[in-house]
Amino acid sequence: MNMATIIAVIVLVLILFLAVRYIYKEKKKGNQCIGCPYASSCQKHSAGNSCSK
Amino acid sequence: MRIAFAGNPNSGKTTMYNALTGRSEKVGNWGGVTVGSKEYKLKKEYSGSNEVIAVDLPGAYSMSPFTPEESITSEYVRTANPDAIVNIVDATNLSRSLFFTTQLLELGIPVVVALNKSDINAKEGTEIDVEKLSEKLNCPVFKTISTEDKGLAEVIKTAISLAGTTQTAPYLQADINLHDKNAVDAEDRKRYNFVNKIVADVEKRKVLSAETNSQDKIDAVLTNPIAGIVIFAAVMWFVFWVSQAWLGPLVADWLVGWIEMFQEWVAGSLENSPAILSALIADGIVGGVGAVVGFLPLVMVMYFLIALLEDCGYMARVSAVMDPIFKRVGLSGKSVIPVVIGTGCGIPAIMACRTIRDERERRATSMLATFIPCGAKIPVIALFAGAFFAGASWVSTLSYFFGLVLIFLGALLIKGITGYKYRKSFFIMELPKYKVPSLKFAFKSMMERAKAYIVKAATIILVCNTVVQVMQSFNWHFQVVEEGAENTSILASIATPFAVLLIPLGFGVWQLAAAAITGFIAKENVVGTLAVVYGLTAFIDVDELEMIGGANEVAMAMGLTSVTALAYLFFNLYTPPCFAAIGAMNSEMKSRGWLWGAIGLQLGTGYTVAFLINQFGTLFTEGHFAAGFVPGLIAEALMIVALVLISKRVRSHFDEQYELHKKTAKAAA
Repeated sequence: MNMATIIAVIVLVLILFLAVRYIYKEKKKGNQCIGCPYASSCQKHSAGNSCSK
Repeated sequence: MRIAFAGNPNSGKTTMYNALTGRSEKVGNWGGVTVGSKEYKLKKEYSGSNEVIAVDLPGAYSMSPFTPEESITSEYVRTANPDAIVNIVDATNLSRSLFFTTQLLELGIPVVVALNKSDINAKEGTEIDVEKLSEKLNCPVFKTISTEDKGLAEVIKTAISLAGTTQTAPYLQADINLHDKNAVDAEDRKRYNFVNKIVADVEKRKVLSAETNSQDKIDAVLTNPIAGIVIFAAVMWFVFWVSQAWLGPLVADWLVGWIEMFQEWVAGSLENSPAILSALIADGIVGGVGAVVGFLPLVMVMYFLIALLEDCGYMARVSAVMDPIFKRVGLSGKSVIPVVIGTGCGIPAIMACRTIRDERERRATSMLATFIPCGAKIPVIALFAGAFFAGASWVSTLSYFFGLVLIFLGALLIKGITGYKYRKSFFIMELPKYKVPSLKFAFKSMMERAKAYIVKAATIILVCNTVVQVMQSFNWHFQVVEEGAENTSILASIATPFAVLLIPLGFGVWQLAAAAITGFIAKENVVGTLAVVYGLTAFIDVDELEMIGGANEVAMAMGLTSVTALAYLFFNLYTPPCFAAIGAMNSEMKSRGWLWGAIGLQLGTGYTVAFLINQFGTLFTEGHFAAGFVPGLIAEALMIVALVLISKRVRSHFDEQYELHKKTAKAAA
């Protein structure tokens, strides 16, 4: 396994880990619609619940 | 301590709340943008050493709620006992605003009045004697300009200092029977007389509201039932032309050049690495995410232009133009607002439906609002317009107007199923004053959406594309799929059964079926998945400095004709929205039956539209029906049977509910 492959694997795992962690954290905060520009405007979301519930 | 921000709709409450808290809640130059309460800490520069929570409430004209969002406001100020209330008063319309002010002053909670939009008054030559007004209301009054952060510090400082004190109400409601409508009306008239007297004493106007001014003349044209629709169509065509055929692609071209260069660099660096790793990173992540990000400039330009239209006051006029049509098809006049909001995102559009009082109209609107393509669908529209229609901006315009037509037809269908009869209803919306749109506001709005778009691309889209790439690269034995044996991949085997159902629509291949399915997670995924499954990245031609067009690489790879491409595009636009929007629909409808009805209606609509376009399009262009005509007809017939059965069931419940004497007769027998 060459150096480029090792770096690529690390980067890939890191990127995926960060992306999944972000999604998980947002879902835990109650944001069902990640990236939605209105997520923070959602009344229930700001109260800690899902904006879609 | 808590300070509630209350006032009439479109008085600038959320703009003030944003300025004081540093939040970026949605604002708009029309009433009804805020539908729920929001709270956040005040910035230290305003609250000092105190911990102050600002509560932004929906607009209300009085403490007697007429709409659901007004109930939120009246219930909050009555029951939550805030320490102080900042009453935001539209200084340009004092007589209307003070009715609510006098009611708030009766609650025993200290009130500070913020005379907002004072800059407009200065321009129009309207003078308000602030000291006199303060004296008459028995509460502090300050001139404010929320958009320029003027007067806000004084308002907050005073509100904090007044917490825990009492004020004497200038007007007290008489002890009347609140169940007696005539007594309540008489009391309201008395209050209005009291308010009018105050206004006459404190206000000097150069321009009287009864006079016809240039704004009224413009309104006469823009809200004309025929000219208004023609102008709206022209305006939207211009927006799409600028965003998707001219300025958007011009900026996108530069961005795509960088993405391509980066992808080539990644692929080159991984030359000696295993092919699967290179495919996963260069094609799956960089290629898939890059394909979606490449459309960012188009989305940004469009949001910028829509923000300008909203801010200048035009979108409120569109509501007025659409109102009579919406009412005719069995929706509420208020249904216009969710539809306009839906051009940005389906979720707030569905949430905005809660301002509609009638349950059937509210559910029908939330069921239909997502037929208007949201921002997430722009990359899909732009891709197909570019690849198959030489970037023609009519494709976008058609997509939006066809969405409107589907809303009308869907509403008529729901009206037929539920046995609804036309009734006269009223839609009262205050048309905001025209103003030169703020470039700063539009830029801020555009950047917020851009940020959200990038976050989505870097999280949901990235993970989805990686999963799609893995599922495409491996078979069920987890062996790497050989070249030429792509049909054995996990993705192909999952998507193929769905693809069979899509044969009558002209795109019965697993790649297109997979892209449509991932679109339910987020609609941008359609573009990302297409990029991954077809190994394409450059949806924008960097050499030609334009969106890809004609029989190019993308069109060739997908193997679609212009007819089937349009059918596929419309299928993705009009089938159910993303899962998050379906969740929002569930919460607003509060009925499983209606929710499944909505999903069924949207699936049926998307399927039918694509079927008709493919079959009749092929008939016109090639002289014969396309493959799968008969199975498609059978599917359509089944949908009609389902509709008839549902309608019968709904109507039988309706009859059971209202045929009271038959019930008693049956019981007696």
